[in-house]
Amino acid sequence: MNTNISRRHFLRGVGVGVALPAFASIRTGSLLAAETPAAAKLAVTPTGAPLRTAFVYFPNGAIPAAWWPSGTPGPDFKWSRTLAPLEPHKQSIQILSGLDHHTAEAGPDGGGDHARANGTFLTGHRLKKSATDIHAGISIDQVLAREIGKATRFPSLELASDSISKGTGCDSGYACAYQFNISWSSPTAPKAAETNPRQAFERLFGDGKPGERLANAARRRNEEQSVLDFVLDDAKSMQSRLDPHDRRKLDQYLTGLRELETRIQKAEKFGDAGKDPGVDTPPGIPIEYADYVQLMYDILVLSFQTDSTRVATFMLAHDGSNRSFEQIGVVEGHHDISHHFNKKELIEKVQDIDLWYVRQFAEFLKKLDAVKDADGKSVLYNSQILYGSGNADGNRHTHTNLPAILAGAAGGALKPGRYVKFGGKPMCNMFVGMAHRTGAAAVTKFGDSTGAIESF
Amino acid sequence: MIAFRNVRVELIRLMGICLFAGGSVPVAVAGDTGGVEEFKKAVAPVLDDYCIRCHDADTKKGGISFDSADPSALIANREQWNKAVKVLRAGLMPPKGRARPTAQQIDGIVTWVEESVFHIDPKNPDPGRVTIRRLNRVEYRNTIRDLMGVDFNTDVEFPADDTGHGFDTIGDVLTLSPLLLEKYIAASRTIIAKAVPTVPWVVAEKRIPGKRFVTSGKPATGGGRFGFNSDVLSLSYYKGAAYTNEFDCQQTGKYQLVVDLTANEQYVDNQFDYNKCKWTFKVDGKPVLEKEYSRQGGRPYRYDLDVDWKAGKHELAVEIQPLTKERQIRNLTLRLQGVTVRGPMAKEHWVHPVNYSKYFPAKVPDDAAGRRKVAQTILSAFAARAYRRPVDDASVEKLARLAEATYTQPGQTFESGVARAMTVIIASPRFLFREEGTVPAKAGEHPLIDEFALASRLSYFLWSSMPDDELFRLARNGELRKNLPAQITRMLADPKSGEFVRQFTGQWLQARMLDNIQINAFAVIARENVPDPKAQARQSRFRELVRKPSEKLTEAEKKELETLRKTAFQFGGRGRGRGGFGPRIELTPDLRRAMRRETEMAFEHVLKGDISLLELLDADYTFLNAKLATYYGIPGVTGDQMRLVKLPKDSPRGGILTEGTTLIVTSNPTRTSPVKRGLFVLDNLLGSPPPPPPPDIPPLEKAMGSKDGKPLTLREQLAIHRASPVCSSCHNRMDPLGLALENFNALGRWRDKEQGHEIDSKGELITGESFASVKELKKILVTDRKLDFYRCLTEKMLTYALGRGLEDFDTKAVDDIVNRIVAADGKPSALISGIVESTPFQRRRAEETDPTPPPAGSHPAAIQEHQ
Repeated sequence: MNTNISRRHFLRGVGVGVALPAFASIRTGSLLAAETPAAAKLAVTPTGAPLRTAFVYFPNGAIPAAWWPSGTPGPDFKWSRTLAPLEPHKQSIQILSGLDHHTAEAGPDGGGDHARANGTFLTGHRLKKSATDIHAGISIDQVLAREIGKATRFPSLELASDSISKGTGCDSGYACAYQFNISWSSPTAPKAAETNPRQAFERLFGDGKPGERLANAARRRNEEQSVLDFVLDDAKSMQSRLDPHDRRKLDQYLTGLRELETRIQKAEKFGDAGKDPGVDTPPGIPIEYADYVQLMYDILVLSFQTDSTRVATFMLAHDGSNRSFEQIGVVEGHHDISHHFNKKELIEKVQDIDLWYVRQFAEFLKKLDAVKDADGKSVLYNSQILYGSGNADGNRHTHTNLPAILAGAAGGALKPGRYVKFGGKPMCNMFVGMAHRTGAAAVTKFGDSTGAIESF
Repeated sequence: MIAFRNVRVELIRLMGICLFAGGSVPVAVAGDTGGVEEFKKAVAPVLDDYCIRCHDADTKKGGISFDSADPSALIANREQWNKAVKVLRAGLMPPKGRARPTAQQIDGIVTWVEESVFHIDPKNPDPGRVTIRRLNRVEYRNTIRDLMGVDFNTDVEFPADDTGHGFDTIGDVLTLSPLLLEKYIAASRTIIAKAVPTVPWVVAEKRIPGKRFVTSGKPATGGGRFGFNSDVLSLSYYKGAAYTNEFDCQQTGKYQLVVDLTANEQYVDNQFDYNKCKWTFKVDGKPVLEKEYSRQGGRPYRYDLDVDWKAGKHELAVEIQPLTKERQIRNLTLRLQGVTVRGPMAKEHWVHPVNYSKYFPAKVPDDAAGRRKVAQTILSAFAARAYRRPVDDASVEKLARLAEATYTQPGQTFESGVARAMTVIIASPRFLFREEGTVPAKAGEHPLIDEFALASRLSYFLWSSMPDDELFRLARNGELRKNLPAQITRMLADPKSGEFVRQFTGQWLQARMLDNIQINAFAVIARENVPDPKAQARQSRFRELVRKPSEKLTEAEKKELETLRKTAFQFGGRGRGRGGFGPRIELTPDLRRAMRRETEMAFEHVLKGDISLLELLDADYTFLNAKLATYYGIPGVTGDQMRLVKLPKDSPRGGILTEGTTLIVTSNPTRTSPVKRGLFVLDNLLGSPPPPPPPDIPPLEKAMGSKDGKPLTLREQLAIHRASPVCSSCHNRMDPLGLALENFNALGRWRDKEQGHEIDSKGELITGESFASVKELKKILVTDRKLDFYRCLTEKMLTYALGRGLEDFDTKAVDDIVNRIVAADGKPSALISGIVESTPFQRRRAEETDPTPPPAGSHPAAIQEHQ
């Protein structure tokens, strides 16, 4: 009950024009640019506004016939059943076809397409088929976080609206980590996503009521710093007692310490002005899935609006998700009916789920479009957001011609309002292009890329 | 069979010893030459007789070839031999209808494989390597509870742990992300702040929970709406009431009363409830607080009152009166959380805060040196417990200096300084990871883990928590290893072992999944009948309407949609479903909890009673309360208490196969899945899971056809499926097991029909045994397949206990445990002590050892020279 009330309160603050924080954040961006000329080119649009990049993952692919538009590529295509909710946002999106993830294909590894769909989506890397010996690749968002993360308080943000506990037995002998993480900070270190809206919010803006948060966050940083100093020593001396194998495990602890330390320093350096978005802290995980998904999208909006980060991932649900959607009359499990035996009724139900996810995304775009950036454009205009899945046809487990939407104009670098056909290029080429737009010129190759899709 | 193996092992050992005694040949060589020679002599002939027909170099069925043109290469293929051992033992190969090797022949091959292919050195077996274990979130929570007496809800605060091999205890996959590290640091502050007092003296406090207020001698009925907060007194805005509590005051003096209240409402969309009430708080009959409340949405109120009390009884009273008679729309309540009596306020009556003596047992001196000494003593003991091993002086010294740096600051207490150092201890990797020491060993020998590491392995295995004082005491005195049997018995008798039951069954039998799994009761039950075209039309219309953007719906459509929302997917009101589906069925949280308890209690019953493990599969009892018994259709069980219930003779329940848990976690949201159920049995009970499905699954449209105007049953669909050669080899194994359970729907309830057809549950296992019902299947499992079950359970539990996946060289350790179980007639004590005493549990791999010895026969010439 209370959950509903609080969510309403929270939403009222977002998107509907509590416009204040963005200006302060832009100032932060330009100040940084003035101080360090080299950083000036990082993740900014031609007007100097921040350029945000996000990747949103939806599970189990989409029924291809209902997803793809008909008509000619370019601006005059005909809307499809599944993508229809995006029509009001036509001028902000591009429908991308012909992008592939060959590393998700079976190759010599046999079954396990859901684990691969999820694990390769942002890594473009063949996964080591093992239940415990995890080896994927660094994901593109984390590459960007390394390249441009220094421009913001948080190098990147990882969100998921999939709170179902990691059950026993994951896909076909693959470690569960592959199937539950799209973000990877190294080939062996999946980057856990925040699934609780309250905790995600408090991490970004501090706990307590609006107005108290800055002080709370500062106090928290002080205490964290004092703990850090001490445990760092402890970890180093422990390192020396361990064998090389275990030492690598403890490295994860040290990496975490370093990241936290950097963040504390950044918080001091960037100052906190305008970082409290002035809305109520959202509650925990709402009961209704739509509320849950929208709340996480809201947090993404806020983090971009306040320029807390310029890189984010959001996994709506893991590939293979068997969630049912009673609210739209689909009581069957998503994964279960994605293998639809070409039965009309089942296909239609899967399409309804695909549509439901697209509607949620459209809702997010609407909010992002309503938030004005310092240069007068919308935050959506100053973003590049890839919405897609690692499976193309969930029934047959294909990984070519993946469903993909690119939202935003990247501050003018992209020309939205079109249906674009690439006719069989690696998805990673798109990633390299996205990286270049952020100013991360050093990224020349990523995953199985064969080049860069720069402008199209 | 066992006798035979032992003789052979003895022989090999003797050979080794003799050769070694001869002085010229290293021990290991005996095995290596045995590799090729023994292969030719004892293994190849058996393969030629039974296997080579399909598995020669040309046919190479299933990609497996036993062609011995190059025996060294063949022997070196560990993975293939591992598979071979598994299928031979499970009776999966040679396939049904072909001649099979005798048990002795199979055993001979297994023994040869263990020694010559897996290179298991019986005198110094490889214990494998366990990656340093991070506490998972269950272990973290329990460890904090046992260390600090604080419950920190890690389910909410920490991200879920990744699992590997089906368990969340696996060191390799328990990664530590930066996000989690941040949460660990935040948690350490929260926990210490909650547990450790930072001042030595406080005003005494006594809390009277709201529920202790009574009316005419009786407590109020009903707590919160969900009944979870039973400490609260809930008062309705719409009805006058008065409740009192008699407080016994021990000492005359000044007191403070703190009254905690919340004003709550049940939310109703866009409609408000304007009712008001008056609330009065009386002390000894005199009103001291009078307030008016309207709707408040859960807002808390706190009032402080000062009173002068004489020793003796004092009456506290709360009264509520409605002030308005507006229409009741929401349910407005005032909830008295409690009244805290603080005092006497005079300093001489102050007391130590709660838990003070737990952390500060000795008086804190005033001088700097004395304080430092006390800080050292406290922190040294605390760190040793938190790190679960002795702590070096330098570490203690550093902690004490950190405490001192804090408590010497103005305004800080000694206690707050110590608490700060404790925060650091809880955030340290030495707390978060389980560091293990070893006992010095001879070169090349795999060392025993030290006594402290053993204490931790034991306690995290059997309690999912840190060792207790007794284990620490034994470890300090070096007496734990000597006293293992007694300690295992003690630990299993301790209520903390309930956590082992919960975590192990939660993962092995997937009972954890019950909390979240989505099952649509309406759809499941609808499937038992011939499809109702009207109901389908309603559902289809509902989907059509929700598909439309809401702004495009006409008023009439909106109305229609609201009606359909209530009727299309739910049972009709008042007990009887519209489609004639019988009484309303729902998988409520209560039922889910009861089912999970059924699974846990059945396991606990066998474990703690030390009765045969086979009763896990086949028993004439199960654990039920009234709700679950009614749900299962078993008469004569009353009350909420879960307990052992003897089943009626013809009941199909009893044993894992027919527990609600198993039946539900293997189902899809709208239907059963015989495939998932079959896989569950093969994977978790028989230990022979089929390989994962191929990536390109044929579409099988025909399987969705119909017969006599009715859709095909799952049995019929699967039969079409199995006709496809890509599918048959695995589905011939899975499907019969799953189809045997078709009389149980996706809700775990008995049914006679599916899609209007009578259910047929008979079948035949791939190993040849046939059965007419699930009851007969259970009998087959506990007789013909009992060794498979022992082995499977051993492998699962060993994986859970060690925190790593099993390797081929673990075969021997598993064999030994299985032999102990057999010798003990299936007693679980043999399994638990077998695991604890096993090499991988007792030892760590020697660091210098190359984990994979050179392939057998890679230097045959050199070896022959030595002979």
